[in-house]
Amino acid sequence: MGPTCQAVLSPSPRRPAPLQPPESRPPLPSPRRPPPLPPINRAPSASTCSFDLRRTTDPEVLAAMANTLRLYLTCIRNTLEAAMCLQNFPCQEVERHNKPEVELKTSPELLLNPVLICRNEAEKCLIETSINSIRISMKVKQADELENILAKKFLRFLSMRAEAFQVLRRKPVQGYDISFLITNYHCEDMHKHKLIDFIVQFMEDIDKEISELKLSVNTRGRLVATEFLKQFI
Amino acid sequence: MILLQSPSRFLLQILQERVLSGEKGMDIDCHTVEFDDVRYHIQFSMRNPKVMVLSVSLPLPPPEAILHDDLPLGAVDAIKATYGPVVQILDPPKDGFDLTMKINLTKLPPDEEQRNAILTQIASIREVVLGAPLKLLLKHLASKTVAPNVDKLVALVHRPNESFFLAPQADKVTIVYPMRFQDSIDIVLATSFLQEFVEARRTAALNNVPSCMWSPAPPLELKGVPADALNANAGFVTFVVYPRHVESKKLDRTVWNLLTFHAYVSYHVKCSEGFMHTRMRRRVESLIQALDRAKSDAEKLKKLVHGASFKRMSLKNEGDSRF
Repeated sequence: MGPTCQAVLSPSPRRPAPLQPPESRPPLPSPRRPPPLPPINRAPSASTCSFDLRRTTDPEVLAAMANTLRLYLTCIRNTLEAAMCLQNFPCQEVERHNKPEVELKTSPELLLNPVLICRNEAEKCLIETSINSIRISMKVKQADELENILAKKFLRFLSMRAEAFQVLRRKPVQGYDISFLITNYHCEDMHKHKLIDFIVQFMEDIDKEISELKLSVNTRGRLVATEFLKQFI
Repeated sequence: MILLQSPSRFLLQILQERVLSGEKGMDIDCHTVEFDDVRYHIQFSMRNPKVMVLSVSLPLPPPEAILHDDLPLGAVDAIKATYGPVVQILDPPKDGFDLTMKINLTKLPPDEEQRNAILTQIASIREVVLGAPLKLLLKHLASKTVAPNVDKLVALVHRPNESFFLAPQADKVTIVYPMRFQDSIDIVLATSFLQEFVEARRTAALNNVPSCMWSPAPPLELKGVPADALNANAGFVTFVVYPRHVESKKLDRTVWNLLTFHAYVSYHVKCSEGFMHTRMRRRVESLIQALDRAKSDAEKLKKLVHGASFKRMSLKNEGDSRF
């Protein structure tokens, strides 16, 4: 947690929001945050990363990972790195309570501007930040009905196991498919950069899983059909 | 198992055990259910250990399907032709069943191979009874005639309250299946499967198989069918069967495959879902591991220490220490 970030997150009265709506402005560099270091300079942390796009060697995977996906994920990673500077902050209304402010939204001075990162119409990621908690919501690509069903099934499967995932929110924020809620306690328990690794890996895995599931359904369908029709030869 | 087997394993096993068990036998009275709501009731009595009374209940027919005495067209003849003297139909059938048969195991041929063949056929009773009308129509197709006194469009029951349709012609038979599924996920998966049928038919290796079409709206053949029978939520599949598909040896296989087409698709949809769940479970595990990696060493150590030093005290232990 760098001192510059601390200053940004201190519960001082909010600065006026920039004139453009948050959707239209480029998510990075945020006007209120110091621009994070470009990923190239993060060599020390890259060695400990469990996930790193640059380390993928499989040519097929590399080809499939279109440029846009890499940029999208890097953008999310950088934004998270800048946004995830949380500190303990007791509730202002109720004594001896400590609540994630991003969920309650009772005091505007504790909230920061949400950042929306879009890859395209269907795929986007909303990052809402407050002094002691951050909420990350994503919308997963659903090109056709099959993908829609698979995504729904998989994400419900994950949400039902939210207990095991600690940072996963049981219900997604409205308009999104899945949400995470990270509080300052999570940040104390876990390494911040590894937590970010996890979120980015999660996003990538979901995409991969859904397209693999779709592929397996189609392959199976073809096999089933061929076997059935072979009976008539 | 990719293809569905026609003999009911349960029935076959009971029959084989009984044939091998010798003279002494015990009472058996059991029920069993197969896919598409076909129920069996199996009875053996002490007095006649070699006589089995088998009752079969068929799926509830929808109004458009024609039945003769509660049995599909030609079922009685088919039973007589298939089993010969071994099986005797009891009339009326048992309460709640459509067909009751007495199977005399002493009349089985002594040769083991022949005996096993006929036992397998008895276990395939559903194919014989439900497939009878289909077999009748396809037999006529093999000889390139149209069965007399048969409508232009025949509805045959294959699932409770659901039927599929046959339009018999001298040179081909068009078979249309309205595909219905209960679950929204099943519908989507089945739809993509059915489209694969159409795609697979186009490959060179399968050039000679019945042509296969899928459409979301009822095809022209189904004109004049009551609307109730046409509310299919996964579209309609049409097969066009030519005489070469029902040549002597292939007939039985074709009948069975066409009869269980819906069950076949639905079975694989369910398998596919099962496979997806296994996969998702594995993926969840790997993601949890990724999250665990994020936990700091201090946190892990804390947990470890807690786990080792914490001793669960039960009431029993308490009592021990007091006295």
